[in-house]
Amino acid sequence: MGLLQGATELFPVSSLGHAVLIPSLVHWKFKTSDASFVPFLVLLHLGTAGALLVIYRQQWIAIIRGFFTAAFRGQIKTDAERLSMLLLVGTIPAGILGVFLEHSLKSLFANPKAAAGFLAINGFLMLGAEILRRRAERRAAVAGRDRVEQEEGFGDAEHISFRAAALVGAIQALALLPGISRSGVTIGGGLLAGLRHQEAARFSFLLATPIIAAAGLIEVPLLFSSTVPIGEYLAGAVLAFVAAYLSARFLLRYFRSGRLDPYGWYCVAAGLASLVLLTFGA
Amino acid sequence: MKGTPLAAGLAVLAIVFLVVAVLYAFGVLQIAVSDSHASHHYTHAVLFVVLAVASLVGANFARQKKGIYATDRPMKTRR
Repeated sequence: MGLLQGATELFPVSSLGHAVLIPSLVHWKFKTSDASFVPFLVLLHLGTAGALLVIYRQQWIAIIRGFFTAAFRGQIKTDAERLSMLLLVGTIPAGILGVFLEHSLKSLFANPKAAAGFLAINGFLMLGAEILRRRAERRAAVAGRDRVEQEEGFGDAEHISFRAAALVGAIQALALLPGISRSGVTIGGGLLAGLRHQEAARFSFLLATPIIAAAGLIEVPLLFSSTVPIGEYLAGAVLAFVAAYLSARFLLRYFRSGRLDPYGWYCVAAGLASLVLLTFGA
Repeated sequence: MKGTPLAAGLAVLAIVFLVVAVLYAFGVLQIAVSDSHASHHYTHAVLFVVLAVASLVGANFARQKKGIYATDRPMKTRR
């Protein structure tokens, strides 16, 4: 589960959807409706957040320093300061929606069919984002060029507008639905905001870290208070860390010229196949 | 709308958010919570602390910056 979550959290294929679907499909003795399931997932998310913190450690130091400098000065002067404020603006809508919608969405965690359906929708959302991106490329007259040159026609995460950052942050809350990928919708949102694929992925990963870390720190005490095998769960978190680290490294390299299409098609196929198996299978 | 009124409004909002955060933390406020019998709602409290910080930052950004804009802005001539 740790390897699965770490790998699927950053790949735009919905970790939560896979964590709900796969145990059901392969008949693991894992109760997704169990009280310790969500805190367990949060512990795995902490492993993922740790990997992101390690990868972006230099940037996080600059972002935190930039946040305090800009906040006290009341003015933004550097890219790091702007990025820190963009992340704050992006985190707030996700936090509000997450806190107030989480309870009503938790019931869906135990429903693998809903997860399968949302996984297919997640695929269509990413494919739709790429269709709109290709239109933008045609408008920018970079359609015929090499992929790396095409990407150079788009912007950096530091230069996204504050309104776009808030919107990308808000759509992050869609990931509370099992099957909808947080990185998928935020990378898609970043593309629509005019970011390069690699920058959209970076913004998505940076935006994820505070929410995942905060959610984890709040939920972890629940894990310790319940009768769960904490040793196994911690081992899962370590595996999630390793898988997330390798996944992030791979994705940042992939998105230099790669698109969301393969992940979109995978989600559509996996979602529909799971839906069929869960409906008509054993 | 940039200026003192907006800054003051955001500062007041920050205080309101902080009060709400404290009320959630001590379980006094039970609005939009999953478990109304819980004595603490730390998730909600953390959210409102973040909102308070964001409001304070916004207030500082909205505040008139004496000595910065005074020299940067072109002088207006009265007719």
